[in-house]
Amino acid sequence: MAVTKTKQKNKELASLLTAASCALIGGLATNANAGNNSWDVDAAFLLYSETDSRVSAAEPVISATKNYDEETKLNIKIAADTLTGASPNGATPSDQIQTFTSPSGNGTYTAEANQQPLDDTFKDTRLALSANWSAPLSRDWAYGVGGYFSKEYDYQSLGVNGSLSRYFNQKNTTLTMGLNLSNDTLNPVGGVPTTLFQVPENTNNNEFSQRQDSDSKSLVDTVFGITQVINRKTIMQFNYGLSTSSGYLTDPYKIVSVIDDTAGANYGGNFQSNGRNLYLYENRPDSRLKQSLYWQTKYQLDNNDILDLSYRYMFDDWGINSHTIDAKYRFRFDKQYLEPQLRWYTQSKADFYHRYLNASGYTNNEFASADYRLGDLDTYTIGLKYGYQFADDTEFYTRVSLYHQESSGDQGYGKLTKQDLYPSLDAVILMIGYKF
Amino acid sequence: MIFIEEIVIQSSCNQGNHPTPRLYQESAFCYKVEFECMASNCSILIECETLHLVKEAAKSAIIEAWRIEHKFSRYQDSNTFTAIHSKPEQWQNLDHETTQLMIFANHAYHASAGLFDITSGILRRIWRFNGSDKLPSQASIDSLLPLVGWTKLGWELHRPDRLKMPTGMELDFGGIGKEYAVDKMLVYCCEIFAKTQAAILINCGGDLACNGRRLNGESWKVGIESIKDATSADHIIALSSGALATSGDSQRFLLKNGIRYSHVLNPTTGWPVSNAPRSVTVAAPSCINAGIISTLSLLQGAEAKGFLDSIEMPYWISN
Repeated sequence: MAVTKTKQKNKELASLLTAASCALIGGLATNANAGNNSWDVDAAFLLYSETDSRVSAAEPVISATKNYDEETKLNIKIAADTLTGASPNGATPSDQIQTFTSPSGNGTYTAEANQQPLDDTFKDTRLALSANWSAPLSRDWAYGVGGYFSKEYDYQSLGVNGSLSRYFNQKNTTLTMGLNLSNDTLNPVGGVPTTLFQVPENTNNNEFSQRQDSDSKSLVDTVFGITQVINRKTIMQFNYGLSTSSGYLTDPYKIVSVIDDTAGANYGGNFQSNGRNLYLYENRPDSRLKQSLYWQTKYQLDNNDILDLSYRYMFDDWGINSHTIDAKYRFRFDKQYLEPQLRWYTQSKADFYHRYLNASGYTNNEFASADYRLGDLDTYTIGLKYGYQFADDTEFYTRVSLYHQESSGDQGYGKLTKQDLYPSLDAVILMIGYKF
Repeated sequence: MIFIEEIVIQSSCNQGNHPTPRLYQESAFCYKVEFECMASNCSILIECETLHLVKEAAKSAIIEAWRIEHKFSRYQDSNTFTAIHSKPEQWQNLDHETTQLMIFANHAYHASAGLFDITSGILRRIWRFNGSDKLPSQASIDSLLPLVGWTKLGWELHRPDRLKMPTGMELDFGGIGKEYAVDKMLVYCCEIFAKTQAAILINCGGDLACNGRRLNGESWKVGIESIKDATSADHIIALSSGALATSGDSQRFLLKNGIRYSHVLNPTTGWPVSNAPRSVTVAAPSCINAGIISTLSLLQGAEAKGFLDSIEMPYWISN
């Protein structure tokens, strides 16, 4: 105990003298931030709102980091979010009113003619907790371990992660290997539906009684990264990531419309089966192998402004390829900063993505999904962040982002061509935070 | 190393009558300026493609170092040091720089629980560390101790620009002056190279500071002179940013009855600290920071290593 106290006292003394030296010389204490063994807390509140007020979300996040020294720290993060609104269920719009069975099977919801079918039973509250510990192993090695837990009423996720870093060349080069394992359990409302099966009218249907209550999936992520200090103003990072998931990867609430492709009055309209529109529960493969390449460069200009550029290329065995380009520029003033951000994301569709299925051949599909998140997609984000640093080292920050999403793809035939199969989406994201 | 020319500095900036600094070329874009200051051999190493900026930077840095030396020297008159000591028992106003040094000395005094005290310089009147065996008498130590003690000064942190010196007391900026000068020289050089890429290493008798890595991305390799043999190095330190300072006794000690008395004095007892390492080198963001930590570690005596371990700053000990 006495030893610890002396050590603590000496460290305080050393940081006091560093600060005093700094005040005398007028420089910055760049590499002597010994850590003050206190908690750094970042409390933020995020609001997400789609402009047609379809979905809104509110998310308070508290992240607390205890710095034992420059390299030894414990981070604990708690986030809670509430989503309300309606999300696209995957079905195509129609010139007729469409009625859908709600996921529980106990009710229905409708989509007006020529309107995008939205599942308005969508409401979710999520609580997520994570803890991460990182510390040096020696002068050249460092490690990190962590755990993660999140819960929604129909979804739980449990994960562990670890990383190992090796420094070379006076820490100018860092090699990192990380591993993340997680296991997720789904308990969909109404049970796990039978894939590519017609959505039943209600719970009286046998399909409902055959359902399992839950299913699960597991995820293994590995990442290999190299971070290189290029010179005093430039730092570059390059990562390769390999991610495999297996198990139930399907979205239990998403359905696919089957369209009538026989010539006639209903050409391009909803195909009828058992006296009603045929909608199938979607089905995705039970495994996915994703690979990604990531490059990031941060550059500090002569006037201390910071340019942060990154690019990510991702491809998987579902046939999805994506590119993300992100650019941030931080204007730094005395106590304030202003950071505009531009981000562009483009993705090509999964092999089994179909906006709809044809009546003549839908039984031949092994997998099918009409989830726009698996289709051809472009998103654009423009954001502006502002921060103010107070004299006591606390910081207030706020960010406003405008998000625009465009989907594209097969325009259909017959009556379907008159429908907007790929509505765009706009959202506003507002974040307010305080670091202390 | 090719001699290029002397860097001529007007005599009004050379109150210490130092020899004219000399500029050498070490390799294609590496220049070295050698000069004397504060009884040390000093050098400025600059890697850069523009020779005229090297000369300009060296000149302004040397003028700054000599200015600091003159201002706080005990051996020159008509300077700030003399002015401060010529008006005992009177409140006098301190200039900005002296005020800042007093604030620093105050922090160092309190952080060290009184072990680092710039009023302790007068103990050197009786302690002469010349390798001999002549220890002062306890009576002579006792006669000086009343004149030692930072808190006896008429000085307060909330009015740091005022000072009242008690009669007979003396301030000694020698313990921080050289490191302070190294840092200031680097600031002056960096100002001149604000728009041109250059790698700079300032060295004043082993206290040094750099502005970052060398132009080829390598760190500076600094050898710490062996205590036993000045021609060999005890440690080779790779310095990529910040500063190094070394505190130690090299030839400055007394030896009596097998006990080695280092030149580091405990201002509260008036006696040398015993069992201190012979030399400690510390790396820190600034030279004055490195210097104060290495000095404080020696003042811990046998506990020096434990002290250095606990503050988690890079250090090297020689015995």
